[in-house]
Amino acid sequence: MGTILNILVDGVAYGMILFMISVGLSVTMGLMRVINLAHGGFAMLGGAFVHYFGAVLGLPFVAAAAVAIALVVLLSVPMERVLYRSIYRMGELQQVLATIGITFLMIASVNLWLGSSLLPIRLPDSWTGIVDLGFRSLPMHRLIVICVGLAIMAALYLLVEGTRFGIRLRAAVDNRATASALGIDTGRVFALTFGLGAGLAALGGILGAELLPIDAYYPLRYMVLFLIVVAVGGMGSIAGSFLAALALGILQQAVLYLVPDFGTIFFFCCVIALLALRPQGLSGRV
Amino acid sequence: MGPFAATAPCTRARHSLRGDTVKPILHACIAAVLAVATTSGIARADEIKVGVIVPASGPFATYGKQFSEAIAAYQEINGTTVGDHTIEFIYRDSGGPNPDQARALAQELIIREQVDYLGGFVFTPNALAVAQLIEQSQTPTVIFNAATSIITEESDFFVRPSFTLWQVSAPMAEWALANGITTVVTAVSDYGPGIDAETGFTAAFEAGGGTIADSIRMPLATTDFAPFMQRVRDEAPDAVFAFLPVGPTTFGFVKAYNENDLRGAGIEFLGTGETDETTLEALGDAALGLTTAYHYSSAHESPENALFLSTLARLYPDAVANFASVQAYDGAHVIYEMVRAAGTDGPAAIEAVKGMSWMSPRGPVTIDPDTRHVTQNVYIRVVDKDEAGNLINREFETVEQVPDLGLVNDY
Amino acid sequence: MSPNPRRLVPDLVILAAAVGLFFVFPYDLAFLTRILIMVVFVLSLDLVLGYAGIATLGHAAMYGTGAYAAGLFAIHVSADPLLGLAAGAVAGAAIAAVSGLIMMRAHGLTLLMLSIAVAQVLQEVANKARPVTGGADGLRGIRMEPVLGIWEFDFIGRTGYWYAFTVMALVLVMLKVVVASPFGLSARGIHESPARMRAIGTPVYARLVAIYTLAGGIAGVAGALAAQVTSLVSLEVYSFEHSAEAVIMLVLGGTGRLYGAVLGVALFMTVEHLAAAVDPFNWLFIIGALVLGVVFFVPAGLMGVPGALARLGRGR
Repeated sequence: MGTILNILVDGVAYGMILFMISVGLSVTMGLMRVINLAHGGFAMLGGAFVHYFGAVLGLPFVAAAAVAIALVVLLSVPMERVLYRSIYRMGELQQVLATIGITFLMIASVNLWLGSSLLPIRLPDSWTGIVDLGFRSLPMHRLIVICVGLAIMAALYLLVEGTRFGIRLRAAVDNRATASALGIDTGRVFALTFGLGAGLAALGGILGAELLPIDAYYPLRYMVLFLIVVAVGGMGSIAGSFLAALALGILQQAVLYLVPDFGTIFFFCCVIALLALRPQGLSGRV
Repeated sequence: MGPFAATAPCTRARHSLRGDTVKPILHACIAAVLAVATTSGIARADEIKVGVIVPASGPFATYGKQFSEAIAAYQEINGTTVGDHTIEFIYRDSGGPNPDQARALAQELIIREQVDYLGGFVFTPNALAVAQLIEQSQTPTVIFNAATSIITEESDFFVRPSFTLWQVSAPMAEWALANGITTVVTAVSDYGPGIDAETGFTAAFEAGGGTIADSIRMPLATTDFAPFMQRVRDEAPDAVFAFLPVGPTTFGFVKAYNENDLRGAGIEFLGTGETDETTLEALGDAALGLTTAYHYSSAHESPENALFLSTLARLYPDAVANFASVQAYDGAHVIYEMVRAAGTDGPAAIEAVKGMSWMSPRGPVTIDPDTRHVTQNVYIRVVDKDEAGNLINREFETVEQVPDLGLVNDY
Repeated sequence: MSPNPRRLVPDLVILAAAVGLFFVFPYDLAFLTRILIMVVFVLSLDLVLGYAGIATLGHAAMYGTGAYAAGLFAIHVSADPLLGLAAGAVAGAAIAAVSGLIMMRAHGLTLLMLSIAVAQVLQEVANKARPVTGGADGLRGIRMEPVLGIWEFDFIGRTGYWYAFTVMALVLVMLKVVVASPFGLSARGIHESPARMRAIGTPVYARLVAIYTLAGGIAGVAGALAAQVTSLVSLEVYSFEHSAEAVIMLVLGGTGRLYGAVLGVALFMTVEHLAAAVDPFNWLFIIGALVLGVVFFVPAGLMGVPGALARLGRGR
């Protein structure tokens, strides 16, 4: 019983990080039909900026994080305009190639700027405490991660279901040509969505740095992990990403608790089974 | 010992260079190259090139940086000439563990760049991949890191002034026993070096009457260690002995150790390279009080280390010295001494450094004449703050002159 | 296939280039051999990705299995290189057939992820099977006999070079025959429209598994070549980076045209080699720029350069 609770608590925390980083990827993939392998790069940039502002310039964590996320969004929107706009029209393979090229440039830039060693993020002291849950203790920052993840999910739900932007976004995901014919400025929807996705990735990268430490090589190291979340969740689905991230987070932790010796094998075998049974992902959209 | 242990007999050298059926011109051309590359006994009064194969890109690029900075510091202190020879280091990027690449680069360095010595090698497979090659070309090869015991058995031309995992984990076990720790859980990354560390620690610890309560092997890619910390807590041992590759994994493990308050539960942390100076900075105050056994701390107090550190700081103001730095520094020293003794004569150079002792920045070291591996002091250290408030590994006990226990195998 | 002399021009160019490189760069044969082995690997990928349209980022699964099979075969059964190649081919094909049964029902992202997952599982299996594979230390103890009992693997890599070249040439010729055969044409047909192929009675799923298996065999040969030339096999043969790099090289050169694989590999590895020698610490900038440059300016890959130039010429 204790183990099951442990798996759930740790799995949910891990899953929330995966969700925050991957949801933008899922939505942009569903919306723009582009396999954006550079998405993890935005998470890394977020972490790298916070490291720089916090550890090097001495800004407090929350301020550093806010500036970093804003910077990533500011960087991503022109990138969308200049680079991705042409990438949307390319074939699948060219998209893979182009976004890998972008990933390489991101890695090389951070490597040149901050070096290849770990880029630690100093959390505020109030985040580093330990909360007693009764059956076990939980690091404070994981509790914060869980809360932020839930808040993001709620906010995204309200955004997509309750605002004009959300209606346009859903219309564009379902059928871009029709949406465009109906007078929706899909270009703007794309740019906003891309910026939002990049910003969320940055947030996830920053909050997740304790579990997925930031360094220059981050986008390649975790690329497969983020893609698996999208594949299991189903492209273009926020709820699917949320479910998939939670399921994979819990699966990962369960494997580590129960069969650590064969952890990697077991985890990927489960992913294979899941994808073989539900090729369209958990959300089941085509 | 691995099941495929096979020692290459030295007599194989150059065997395959005979019996050419190629056109005479080409033959002559290549033979000339080889003659230069493998000539024995004739010292050339000119430039001697040393090829250094290191990871300079990818997730392990830090090694390349540490190596090149330390070598530059060595050359700054000792000059770039030995006798009549000018020594030049040529770097090549192996990326991560990539034996195909390492072997091809070694071939290129030996044949085209005509290097007389090779250095570098962070990963065991990369070092093993050049074993047959350096046998044939008789190129002395100095291992700057790769820490599996068997490497030096694979060719007589390997010299290793770095360390092995047995060498540091067995002293850790002995110290633990001497300090009232009787039950330990080992937690290592599930790959060669991790298992070496686990075996080394377990052998020494059980030989001294200790109990290993549990041996955990963790997937190599994992960076979230909360599950393992729960498992360790449940066992309630006196200490947890850990080995993980330097970088995100080490960082994650130490974070998890603190976050799950294992110290509060009375479980001591025992490690080896987990608190190396480049990770220490990232760990921050969380690392205070961690106990490790290792062969180098940048806080080692000796004139040699002070000179090394001040030179490094002058050349690279942001540089941090760690085990990789001192291993490359000593690697450069071994190469200099080989050149001094034998010029470009590979076999003679190897003979010359067998049994050589010197005072390294890490302390007194000797190249064991039988294993060609370094015998060195292993220090028990604890993470502490220096006067300036920087985190350091403070050495407080010394295990004198430890050989490579993985080969000597006295357990 | 009628032997149209003009169709042989590219092959003669490749042969001439191989001979030329051998004499111009006699000291870089090890590097050139790595290019040749990679060409075999990417040719196999071209069959899967370029012709049959099977999106994969896990082609290293077959390469790695071929490498370990050839290495173990050399140690425990026979050190004859050609038998080793056969062992690699069989192992690569077997893994492809088994994994293909699951994978060939999926498409797009799901297929990509399945391919990655298969390679990851195999890598971890090889890591766990330390007593057999040597784990992270690598599989050592491989000592090859001379090729055909005549040419010994030499220090400079001459034997390795011509051996790899011969294998590459044979694979290229075989693939030219295959892609022009009804079997190969049906692969293209499935790529363009699976529904139409199904309508005319092609067993699409079985055909895809068959193509994947054939490509797996070729990838296994590439892995076996690498194991024999390096005399060591490490876990990295299964790495995601290896699969991804193969895709990059193929798309750089141009998919669905066998010579694209040759060109893409040659360009990518040469640029990487030179850039890494000039600046071992920052060459990723060059590679990133190269990849983006090609994708934006010649999206069809290098094989599309003549066409792009011709269009430019006509436009003027």
